This record gives sequence, C-alpha cells and structure tokens, in this order.
Amino acid sequence: MQLIVELLLFGLTLGGLYAMVAMGLTLQYGVARIMHLAYGEWLIAAAFGAYAAFTYWQVNPLITLALSLPVGFAVNWLVYQVLLSPLVRRTQAGPALEVDSLLATFGLLFVVQGVMVVLFGGSYHSYNFAAEAVNIGGALIARNRLIMFGLTVLAGLSIYLFLSRTRAGAAVRAVATAPGNAPLVGIDVRKVSAITFAVGGALVAAGGVLASMFLTFSASMGVIFTMKALIVIIMGGVGNMLGAVVAGLLLGMAETLVARLVDPGLTLAVNYLLFLSVLLWRPAGLFGRPVR
Amino acid sequence: MLEVSGLSVSYGRHLALSGAALSVARGEIVAMLGANGAGKSTLLKAVAGMVAAHPGARIELDGRSLVGQAPHHIVDRGLALVPEGRGVFGELSVEENLALGAYPSRARAAEARTRASVLDLFPRLGERLGQQVRTMSGGEQQMVAIGRALMSAPTILLLDEPSLGLSPLLSHELFQALRRIRDTGLGILLVEQNARLSLEIGDRAYVMATGVVSGGGSAAQALDDDAVQRAYLGAV
Ligand SMILES: Nc1ncnc2c1ncn2[C@@H]1O[C@H](COP(=O)(O)OP(=O)(O)OP(=O)(O)O)[C@@H](O)[C@H]1O
Ligand SMILES: [Mg+2]
Repeated sequence: MQLIVELLLFGLTLGGLYAMVAMGLTLQYGVARIMHLAYGEWLIAAAFGAYAAFTYWQVNPLITLALSLPVGFAVNWLVYQVLLSPLVRRTQAGPALEVDSLLATFGLLFVVQGVMVVLFGGSYHSYNFAAEAVNIGGALIARNRLIMFGLTVLAGLSIYLFLSRTRAGAAVRAVATAPGNAPLVGIDVRKVSAITFAVGGALVAAGGVLASMFLTFSASMGVIFTMKALIVIIMGGVGNMLGAVVAGLLLGMAETLVARLVDPGLTLAVNYLLFLSVLLWRPAGLFGRPVR
Repeated sequence: MLEVSGLSVSYGRHLALSGAALSVARGEIVAMLGANGAGKSTLLKAVAGMVAAHPGARIELDGRSLVGQAPHHIVDRGLALVPEGRGVFGELSVEENLALGAYPSRARAAEARTRASVLDLFPRLGERLGQQVRTMSGGEQQMVAIGRALMSAPTILLLDEPSLGLSPLLSHELFQALRRIRDTGLGILLVEQNARLSLEIGDRAYVMATGVVSGGGSAAQALDDDAVQRAYLGAV
C-alpha cells in the first residue's frame, strides 16, 4: 500500500513537470509553428540560473522561479523576433517554415549549450532546497516535489482557463487552427505568434527552475528534455493542451514505475515504448483528430 | 464610403485585375457580376489588404487610404470581408466566432448591442451558440461568417459569393437578411454568381470581365441590359 502511494506520488510529480514543459512546446509548435529544437536548453539554462543563485548568493529558488517567468518570456520573445521572424517573413509562414526553423533552432541549441559548458563545465549539478521528507499516507516524499506539483497544476489550470474562457485565448486558438482566417477579424498573427512563443519560453524556464530543485542536471541534458517534451506532445496530439497534460502524466508514471520496479536504466527505453504503443493505437495522438 | 480606382493586381506575370474602379456608399447594396476567373475575388482580397496591389492604386474608406495596410488593420478601420469559402474558425464554437468578430478595438464599445442584433438577424445562431462551427451545415456556417463580420462593427461589408452551396430557399432568406443589414446603414459589396437574386436586392451593379470592371449604374438598369441578360441571366 505504502509502495503504491509512493509510486503514485513520484509518478504524478514527475509527470506534472513533463506536462508543464510539454505545454510550452505545444504552444510554440501548435501556434507559432516553430519546431524549437533549443527548447530544452532553456530549461537547463534556467536550472543553472537557479543553481547559481542558490549556491553563490543564497537566493531562494522560489524567488528565481518568479523571475524565471518574465526572463524566459523575454528571451524567447527575442529569439522569435531576431532569429525566427525573418524566417517567418521569408517563408510566409508556409510549410518551409518548419524546416527552416528546425535548422535555425538546431544551431541555437549548440550556442546555448556551449555557453553553459563554458560557464559550468560538463559535470552534474544539484543543490538541496526543501528536500526534507513529508509523510503522505505513509509514503515519504520530498517537499520540493510537492511544491513543484502544486505549481505545475496551477500553471496548467491557468493556461487552460485562459485559452478556453477569454477572447485573447480564443484568438490564440484561432491562430493555431486557422491562421489564414485570423486577420479577417483583426488578429495580428505575427504578434500572437511571438507572444505565444514567448509564453512557451516562460513555461520552460519555470520548468527548469522547478526541475533543478529535485533533479541533478548537466549542461548537455537539454536535448533529453526537448525529446521528452516532443514525445509528450505527439502522444497527446499536437497543439492539444489536455493531451499534453495527460500524456505528460502518463510518461511520468511510466518512467517512475519502470525505474522503481524494474531497472532505472530503462527509463529512456520506456519513453520510446510508450510513444510507439500510443501511436500504433492512435496515430494522431491521444486527443488528436485524424487529418481528413 | 469606399472608393477604389486604378486598382491592378498580378499573380506572378498574370494580370488578374486591371485598373479596377468602383465605389460603395453606406446604406446601399452594390452587386458585382462576372464570370469565373474574372477577378472578383481578387478585387475583394485586394481591398481587404490580403493581396498586394500595383503602385498607384487608390483605395479609400471615408477619405482615408487603405493602400498598403495590413489586413488586420483594415478590419479595425471598418471594412470587413466574408471571403469565398467563409473563413470561419471551424474548431471554435459559434459563441467564440462571434466574440472574435469583436476582436478589433472599434467593436468593443457596442459589442453587446451588436451581438443582440446579429442574433436577432440570425436566430439560428442563438440556438447553436455552443456548437462547434465545423459541424454546422453550409448555410449555418455562412450565417456565422456574416454574423462574425458584423460583430466588427464595419461600415462597409464585402461578401464573396455568400449563396454558394445554399438551397434557393436559404439563399432567399440570406438575401433578406442582407437587406436588413443594409437598412441599418452599412454599405455592402456583393459578389455573386446568382445574378438574378443579387440584381433584385442590389441598388447598383458592376460587371467584371477578365480583370476589367464596367457598369456602376442602377441594378434595375443592369437587369434590363441585353448583354447582362445574355451573359448572366440565361436569356437568348
Ligand atoms: N493565388 C493565385 N495565384 C495565381 N493565380 C491566381 C490566384 N488567385 C487567382 N488567380 C487567378 O486570377 C484570376 C482571377 O481569379 P479570381 O479568384 O479573382 O476570380 P473570380 O472572379 O473570383 O472567379 P470565381 O467566380 O470562379 O470565384 C483567375 O485567372 C485565377 O486563376
Ligand atoms: Mg471568386
């Protein structure tokens, strides 16, 4: 019984992180139509930011977390304006944009990663914050994981409510599903894309700070998070928020179960296994509609 | 008042519109007839800013130039387009489509009133507010498209073949609705294949052939015109 509660708690908290990170990527890809390969680098950059602030200047990671939102937003907004918007203009947001943005952000990946290797080296880092165990139904779990879970739920809920209940949210969904029609009602597609891309950046930066509180990380780990986020959004159905949440939780649960019950070395393998089985069962993802 | 002159548009080397000129005043319906490929849709898209015009074109709304403005700015200036194929947001609900119609800032102040009059005009939409637009019939989607355009509180409304795919009865209802919209003081430019219906409700009419616009007289006159009769009304 205790083991079940523990597995559930660990799976859900890890899954919450994956869900939040995947939501940011699905916003960037589904709305701005940018396949952002340097996405996970920002997560690691934010993790290092929190690490440095905490170990060198004793800054509470929750403060870094609050700062990570505007900083992540600003950095990704700049990336969109400087690096990507010339591509958007050149391809007129057509199919060529996907390939062009893939190449451009692939280059960006190495730049960001290179800077982190120079600053922090290639070794693994971690720090201790809110790591004391909390007893929940007999299972022991670190407080930082609970903080993280609460905040990811909050982030997911706010995004969901924003997209489904506000006019600006409807405009974002209009750009995601019918970008050609959006200008008819006065929506500036480029502006909405840039802002949505930046919101994705805020999410991944916050995810990075949260991850740094309970994971060990290194400068070269960004790619893994990009890949996991990709797996999650494809499993959930591209552009689908609910899909990203469910698939994220599913991946967190699956990784936790396999790592605890079978072998920790198999966590990456379980990613692919889950990915393949979902796609064999539903090729358009859990919540995706098959293309007609 | 919409005034256009010297409007030319090319797709690559193909000249689709050559020096088009026309005007639409508030409170009138202006019909635009023309064969397939004549350039009618191109004209509407150029006015709405969705395709680029050659230099030297004049497009003015109430005396202010729209040339070179982005489409999303033009909506905010008071010119709304219902394009060929309707351009609705199929994944969103009727309610959300209407709310997005009022996205331009000019529409916000009177939004509740406009919404009430749109639902009065198309009661069907009021019964289907929660329905996803892509699951609606063609006629209902056309109502969403027109209702959404009206939500932006335009002074000029451009309609590209609104009766396409509608039954005669539904087309008739739709055109009655257009009359009522005109009577509220909007100017409507109506591109139609259904020449008889559009000349019946139109106040004035233009005829377009291979990128050139002619006519501009009263619609009744066009109904009597031999050439128009032969080309568009099936007379021999
Ligand atoms: N995107 C485009 N690229 C190239 N040529 C185009 C494009 N759009 C239209 N054309 C050409 O421009 C001409 C005018 O097209 P347009 O769509 O304006 O005609 P239309 O009068 O609306 O016809 P219909 O009654 O069939 O809708 C046609 O010869 C068409 O092939
Ligand atoms: Mg046409």
